Amino acid sequence: MSEELKILFAGAMGAGKTTAIRAISEIPPISTEASNSDRAECDKEETTVAMDYGEITLATGEKLRLYGAPGQPRFQFMWPILAAGALGAVVLIDNSRADPLGDLELYLNAFRPLADAGAAVVGIGRMDSFPRPTLEAYMERLAKLDVVMPVIPADVRRRDDVLQILEVLLQQIEAMWAHDETVSGDANPGHRSPEAIS
Amino acid sequence: MSARVMPPELVAAFDDEIRRLHGRVSGVIGCVLATTDGRRVSAVVDNEADPQRVSAMVGSIVALGETIGREVMIGRTQFVAVSAVGGMVLLQRVPAKRDLLVVGTLARHNTNLGILLHETGIAAEAAGRTLDEWLGRDQRPA
Repeated sequence: MSEELKILFAGAMGAGKTTAIRAISEIPPISTEASNSDRAECDKEETTVAMDYGEITLATGEKLRLYGAPGQPRFQFMWPILAAGALGAVVLIDNSRADPLGDLELYLNAFRPLADAGAAVVGIGRMDSFPRPTLEAYMERLAKLDVVMPVIPADVRRRDDVLQILEVLLQQIEAMWAHDETVSGDANPGHRSPEAIS
Repeated sequence: MSARVMPPELVAAFDDEIRRLHGRVSGVIGCVLATTDGRRVSAVVDNEADPQRVSAMVGSIVALGETIGREVMIGRTQFVAVSAVGGMVLLQRVPAKRDLLVVGTLARHNTNLGILLHETGIAAEAAGRTLDEWLGRDQRPA
């Protein structure tokens, strides 16, 4: 693997992207929050309007650069900008929202190249209070979309939960690279350009 | 305040100010007033640009400009400018008691930047006074 990896956090407004990055970043996170003028959509004071940024260094010495994307569809213009060069994506879903499976489909399609490459995981929040849709329902929806990816219940306020999501994502990426190495004979896939899969 | 529940008379006052800005400066081809979280409040755009999308971008770019200003410790950001081959865009926050609005002005490349800055600032201050007046009347604006 290269020494710095870019990871994208995506998902609907209020799904916990800013919270997740704040939970694990070892630097003061950069955020771009503004007053939320759409309290009907999500009842919180502020919302991310451009990006979040944080960093964490893994035990292996690799640094993860963590980018959070604004969730509202009107900010779709930011999504490809932030996804450029990303090696993987964490799609966060809030199970208390009106249509969590629809949210999954929206963000999965937005970052489809990463999902198709096996470089994405789904984190489901608030499953304790809102048990439906179930994990099985998510897996069924992913199967219909012809995508296989891990779906993990998580409370992104908890550092350990976020780290677990990232660990699964990195395992996915490692497995993808190992597979590519086997297929292509590339003995050093970790040093290729990140843009190759983004 | 929600853009969805903004009263019509307030939106009408903002519309007047945006139209005035648009007509006041030769070379201005678009003006957008948006919430800081990127929702359109008022817009006049002469070309094919989509005011809804532009409103979202104005919110994002003002936030990014202010964020980098803080990061490099150069003080409060006054405006953000985009200079392109075919024109320029000026973006700034509306000065008011609450940070709720941003304004963006699109102009042709030969427009005088100083005049554009000055006039955009005047429009932003006028919109801020209108907002403050309304917030003062409304005891529970949020």
